Amino acid sequence: MGTHSVARWWTQSARDLRRLRDEPLLLIAVIAIFALLLLFILYPLARVLIVSLFPEGAFSPRLYREFLGSWFIRQAFLNSILMGILTAVGGTIVGFLFAYTLTRTNVPGKSLLTLAAILPIISPPFVSALAIILLFGNNGLITRQLLGFQEFAIYGLRGLLLAQIFTFFPVAYLTLRGVLESLGGTLEDAAMNLGATRWKAFRRVTLPLCLPGIASALLVLFIESIADFGNPLILGGSGFPVLSVQVYLQVTGMYDLPGGAALAVILLVPSVTTFLVQRYWVSRKQYVTVTGKPARAVIRAVSPAMQRVLLAACLAVTLFVLLFYATILVGAFSRTWGVDHTPTLRNFGYVFGVGAQAIQDTLIIAVTSSPLAGLLGMAIAFLLIRRRFPGRQAMEFISILNFAVPGTVIGIGYILAFNQRPLLLTGTAIILITNFLFRYIPVGIQSGMAGLRQIDPAIEEAATNLGASTQVTFRRITLPMLVPAFFSGLVFSFVRAMTAISAAIFLVSADWNLMTVQILSQTEAGRLGAAAAFSVLLILIILLAIGIIRLVLGQLFEYRYQAAFG
Amino acid sequence: MRHRWTLCAILAMSLLLPGLAGAQDALVVYSSVDEENAKKLLDAFTKATGVKVRFTFLSSGPAVARIEAEKNNPQADVWYGAPSENHVVLREKGLSQPYVSPGARDLAAKFKDPEGYWTSFYMNPLGFASNSKTLEQKKVEPPASWADLLKPEFKGQVQAPSPQTSGTGYNMVAALVIVMGEDKAFDYLKRLNPSIQTYTQSGTAPSKAAAIGQAGVGIQFTPAFLQLIEEGYPLKITFPKEGVGFEAPAISILKGAPHPDLAKRLVDWSISLPGQAVLTDEKTYFFPVHPKAKLAKGLPSFGEIPTINYDATWAGKEKKRLVDRWINEVLRAPK
Repeated sequence: MGTHSVARWWTQSARDLRRLRDEPLLLIAVIAIFALLLLFILYPLARVLIVSLFPEGAFSPRLYREFLGSWFIRQAFLNSILMGILTAVGGTIVGFLFAYTLTRTNVPGKSLLTLAAILPIISPPFVSALAIILLFGNNGLITRQLLGFQEFAIYGLRGLLLAQIFTFFPVAYLTLRGVLESLGGTLEDAAMNLGATRWKAFRRVTLPLCLPGIASALLVLFIESIADFGNPLILGGSGFPVLSVQVYLQVTGMYDLPGGAALAVILLVPSVTTFLVQRYWVSRKQYVTVTGKPARAVIRAVSPAMQRVLLAACLAVTLFVLLFYATILVGAFSRTWGVDHTPTLRNFGYVFGVGAQAIQDTLIIAVTSSPLAGLLGMAIAFLLIRRRFPGRQAMEFISILNFAVPGTVIGIGYILAFNQRPLLLTGTAIILITNFLFRYIPVGIQSGMAGLRQIDPAIEEAATNLGASTQVTFRRITLPMLVPAFFSGLVFSFVRAMTAISAAIFLVSADWNLMTVQILSQTEAGRLGAAAAFSVLLILIILLAIGIIRLVLGQLFEYRYQAAFG
Repeated sequence: MRHRWTLCAILAMSLLLPGLAGAQDALVVYSSVDEENAKKLLDAFTKATGVKVRFTFLSSGPAVARIEAEKNNPQADVWYGAPSENHVVLREKGLSQPYVSPGARDLAAKFKDPEGYWTSFYMNPLGFASNSKTLEQKKVEPPASWADLLKPEFKGQVQAPSPQTSGTGYNMVAALVIVMGEDKAFDYLKRLNPSIQTYTQSGTAPSKAAAIGQAGVGIQFTPAFLQLIEEGYPLKITFPKEGVGFEAPAISILKGAPHPDLAKRLVDWSISLPGQAVLTDEKTYFFPVHPKAKLAKGLPSFGEIPTINYDATWAGKEKKRLVDRWINEVLRAPK
């Protein structure tokens, strides 16, 4: 670094610091957020890293040498990357298909399509994999009864990819929908008024403007799918090992905590690299499109023929989604799922008997953690995009880090970090709440940032010039404009708080239990009907909650966004 | 606007408060016995002794990881359930403490640690469950031996748990090593590969795959088979005549347990005749370990099952080496 750039960096930092001094609230917010991120994200991860580097109490890179030299782990690593890329691309395409169709066309049945696009975000663990096997397995409804395949190998990359795209495309949809919505249709209109064809308007206007959103979606999907182990655990089988599963197995199958930690650190490498690449690329492509209220979507950007093609594609996916949920629904109300479908309420009687406490606990924890996650996510996104302060890059990096870490490792990190005074949190609801809060803010931050990049800072500057502080500007100006992004952050963290298991399984206690752990226990014991009934209940609660969140947001921010979410 | 936020904050706090309340004086159990059966058994314990119990379900892997992570400030008193070889691991990690229950003298040596670090309180044999519909369609008899599984009719039809991930899978490999000798056992497993549809990560996945017809045959411990049959699934249970292993789920008292006296009472009661009778009376599908305990109707007598003399301590010690060999020889071998 030359003297010149050092000097420039110095004056820049000095200016940032002065700005902080002038605005004490901003200073407090920055410090508070950093303190929380350090305590609840970096500290637990540091404990895990220490365990992996000091396996027998003394420093030794032995574990890393061992794993990097193992053909099996190398294969798992390559499989993870392959699955991550294919899931990210496939999921983003399907997500974009839905987001584009729903914002740019006037096809019939939009509410059904919206439902299909967000429903799969709610995939109850273990039961989902069972449903996929019932539909696509050897004896599957689609593969055998409909298509007549005799043997369809569901275990391995093919089946896994099917499940992963299905599970993760809604994340891409939610991100891209927010972006397409705030883009409005006026620019496409303008392009076509200037003589561009529809295709050209799409290629030269819509697509480039969506790139930050698409990049975000790709990033989130890649990272999430390589960190996830729910689907690969069941559908990968032993023939297609992936690293996230190996982390889990190392800890829970071989009882090797340091080894699992070391594998997790290896898994972090591609996630973090992706994150850095995306940042470098996207930060070069920023577009300001929202200069006032979002404009109404135009319909003429898509030709009638194209509308029909889009609709057909969406309907195919929708059919698939509905079949999937119908399968679980049938299971919940049948005497013997997959064999004897005589209707019965027995499973629900059982669930309310054994699981009432878990249902209540799950609700309390999800209801507490998701609004906090939503608000914190937007606050961080706002600070990152709109304010300059020292350590901004570090804040962005740390706040998204947890997303790339497998849940198992976070769970163990949390026990290691919070099992001793003065930070004794094990056995309480707080440890579950903070875990969900800090695990799932990245989605809120990402969609908040994607949304903010498209809102002209001039609007906020106007507020500031009129005397509003950072906090008032954020609450009264920015947040209402970010409602779609805020909504997706909220919904996402609520859903994950209701359905996550990988970290939670280490944090539940006798006083605080979760429905997902119940589902696991029931599937393991062979009570498949009860597990399906639990899942149906879980899905109903989440759908109800999404409805309520939408209503409350509309009230709180006096913001009308007709048909924005179905 | 401001009031709304304050209200939200108060609401959030009031929801958090119950979690901040102190723990009551009750026995704290990490249970690897499934939720419903654990509840039946522990409720019976509370009824018999008046000791209150608070339990959390954790399958065996997460349970050990958690006990290890909490070792500086143990949250639980006992680990309840999970096959005894896992308790051998717990002992070797120095996470449990010895207690020789007076009732333990009635138990066979394979059901207890010589120094009292763990005590088994029920057992389950490994078995095959065949989907009778699938096998009828293919006109195949349910397998009666390990050798039967090598037949071409079973190509791609068998699911077994992976020893890398599941105690059940490891139990299968270790038992085969005892029955056939190590090299022959691995040779057998390599030849079994074409029949294996997949090795599952969870120890209870094969029974479900067999139940819904995804697989023709599932290999695992019997209780989930019996539960699935009770639910109405068309499963038929057989045992390989060369011999099978069994699991003997145990109790360990954790080192630094906050309520060691209550923990001892759970051990005493679980292996007592009244405690063993609950296994049968409450339809857990578990076999008692006490030689004089009554057996359930419908359950084959343990003597009719070709179980081998499975040594959990040996199996626990050899685990890493045998699993590594399995990964390198069986998993890597071409199908």
